[in-house]
Amino acid sequence: MTALKAAVIGTGLISKEHLSFLDQSKQAQLVGVCDLSSASAQYAAQRYHAEATYADYRQMLSEAKPDVVHILTPPHTHKWIAKDCLEAGAHVICEKPLTSTYEEFKELWAIAQACDRYLIEDHNYRFNSAILAIEQMIADGTLGEVQEVEVRMALAIRKGGAFADENLPNPIHKMPAGVIHDVLTHLVYLVLKFLPTEFDRIRAAWSNHGGGSTFKYDDLDAILVGGSAHARLRFSAHTLPECFDVIVRGSKGYVQTDLFQPYLRTVVRRKAGEKLSPIVNHFINGTDLMRSSVRNFSNKIMQRTPYEGLHRLLDETYTALLNGNPPPISFEDMERTSRLIDALLAEENRV
Amino acid sequence: MKLLITGASGFLGQYVVVEALRRGHQVRAVVRPASDVTRFTWHDHASVEFARVDLRQKSGLVDALQGVDAVLHLAAAKSGDFYTQFAGTVIATENLLEAMQTSNVLRLVAISTFSVFDYWNTPIGSLIDESSAIEKNPLERDEYAQTKLIQEALVRDFEAKNNAPVTILRPGMVYGRDNLMNACLGAELTDTIWLRIGARAQMPLTYVENCAEAIVLAAEQEAAIGQTINIVDDDLPTQRVFAKKLFARMDQLPRMVPLNWTLIRFLTWVLWVYNQKVLKGQAKYPGIFVPAKLHARFKPLVYTNARAKQILKWTPKYSLDQAFDRSYSDQNLLTISAPSPALSST
Repeated sequence: MTALKAAVIGTGLISKEHLSFLDQSKQAQLVGVCDLSSASAQYAAQRYHAEATYADYRQMLSEAKPDVVHILTPPHTHKWIAKDCLEAGAHVICEKPLTSTYEEFKELWAIAQACDRYLIEDHNYRFNSAILAIEQMIADGTLGEVQEVEVRMALAIRKGGAFADENLPNPIHKMPAGVIHDVLTHLVYLVLKFLPTEFDRIRAAWSNHGGGSTFKYDDLDAILVGGSAHARLRFSAHTLPECFDVIVRGSKGYVQTDLFQPYLRTVVRRKAGEKLSPIVNHFINGTDLMRSSVRNFSNKIMQRTPYEGLHRLLDETYTALLNGNPPPISFEDMERTSRLIDALLAEENRV
Repeated sequence: MKLLITGASGFLGQYVVVEALRRGHQVRAVVRPASDVTRFTWHDHASVEFARVDLRQKSGLVDALQGVDAVLHLAAAKSGDFYTQFAGTVIATENLLEAMQTSNVLRLVAISTFSVFDYWNTPIGSLIDESSAIEKNPLERDEYAQTKLIQEALVRDFEAKNNAPVTILRPGMVYGRDNLMNACLGAELTDTIWLRIGARAQMPLTYVENCAEAIVLAAEQEAAIGQTINIVDDDLPTQRVFAKKLFARMDQLPRMVPLNWTLIRFLTWVLWVYNQKVLKGQAKYPGIFVPAKLHARFKPLVYTNARAKQILKWTPKYSLDQAFDRSYSDQNLLTISAPSPALSST
């Protein structure tokens, strides 16, 4: 099998996940890493065995001629870097959010079409084991027809870390949804994964409960209704502990998980019949929860993180590109995600 | 001299600023943009000015270096994930060195750390001095050691490329007021329970006021140029002695669970072998169960400050007992009396 020549632009925190995949994948040959910090690029190259380092991505595009470029820079830089990569003949895998607005997404997609290259936004959590298991339960009819989805993320971003740093404000604060823009793509594509419907009623309350000028918003509470389907999107920086809850309710039962501490709690009608199903559900879910505790402890020791889906996504993407097939994240996936984010933002400050 | 001091608002940095002022130097203190400088007793000293820049970005650094004779580079990130520490330590140093090159300010006293040594492969009882081996497998060590190793390499590269007058100081564990609990004593298991590992190992300590004096002396002494110098105090205590003195003064003690050094060393080695042979090196155990990290904190070794004394003409002013007395006193340790006339002409 011929490997695709891969290059990475931006060697910050998330680069570890992309680079560790590229380092071990037989489908990729890491021809270059690029960062404005030469020390950072050199570290990444040494740690993950890249062939060359660059401070100028245009130079990397012309010299290393990558087939695929991973864009891992701050979101406001994505559009013009992606445009240059596409026009240089490379497929683009870009961290979320791909663009700041839906208009920008359409412009960039048009460029990708004109260049006959694929543009792929990182929807990594869709490929986490728990999400794939829920997908399977929908496919095999266990949950019946999906009627409600809740996605709730809580992150302690007010208590310190890069987003709370007032000395070097993170560029994400300048995005339309402020810091929530950094995670909103995840919440939205997960809702759309399980409820691929057009939402005709959208209400969203954007808040800055913590106050101050660094954060534009630190809380989002949104209700989406499309026909009889309901979804709730929730982000909180205040109601901790940290979690990434996903609940999918169907006509035959529901399933829930936390992608940060994965488990599956499935409440459905069991073979024992309607009367005994509640107690059977309790026993089965209790056992599964204990298994999950052991598995999560093992995962922590073995450095398997909630980013497990990213390696799966990248693997499927590289396989598809090598075989001339469309990648697993489609235009529709990205278009609907970007459009729904715009619709949520149009509800700014409306309760 | 006019000294640019990075990390000036940090634990050690504040004492270095005060020591520099006491010795009659002009100080330009680098503090982060959001810092409240009025909390420093020395903020309105006539010889102090502030440069409000964040070293993680380049802007403002060349301006901050205007008119500077020497840079004392203390800024580093001591906590956070690898990438946070990489930005605060490595990228900060990269940006500073680039600005120094642009400004042609080449005199540098860079503060490294004892963490850069290779402890695992050093036999028990060995002397750690400036010629001791540097860690060859940084990935076995914590984020602090990893990033400080890269930082030291950047400084050496800057020295070689610019023929720059550079001094690298490697302080041991710096202790002082509000920083007396020490990682060489044990490992925090919960908020109230500590594992106390070993008792007889010598601790590579330097009291913050002693260390600050050594750092300023390094900027003053021509003989320090081109040197790498370890900084530890005289008469270093064992873990047991230090713990006894510390616990005698503490109001609330964590519960200490003693662990024998030989036993924990063996257990850690077994876990490491299991990880390498069975888990293919994929497992990441808590720090004290990783041999390279365990040895770096608790291995019985001996240390010397002979080179520091010889080159810097430095004698640690305060003994361990005096350091404890000062740390627990009400005395303001960061006040500045008029500099000695002899020193102010330095």
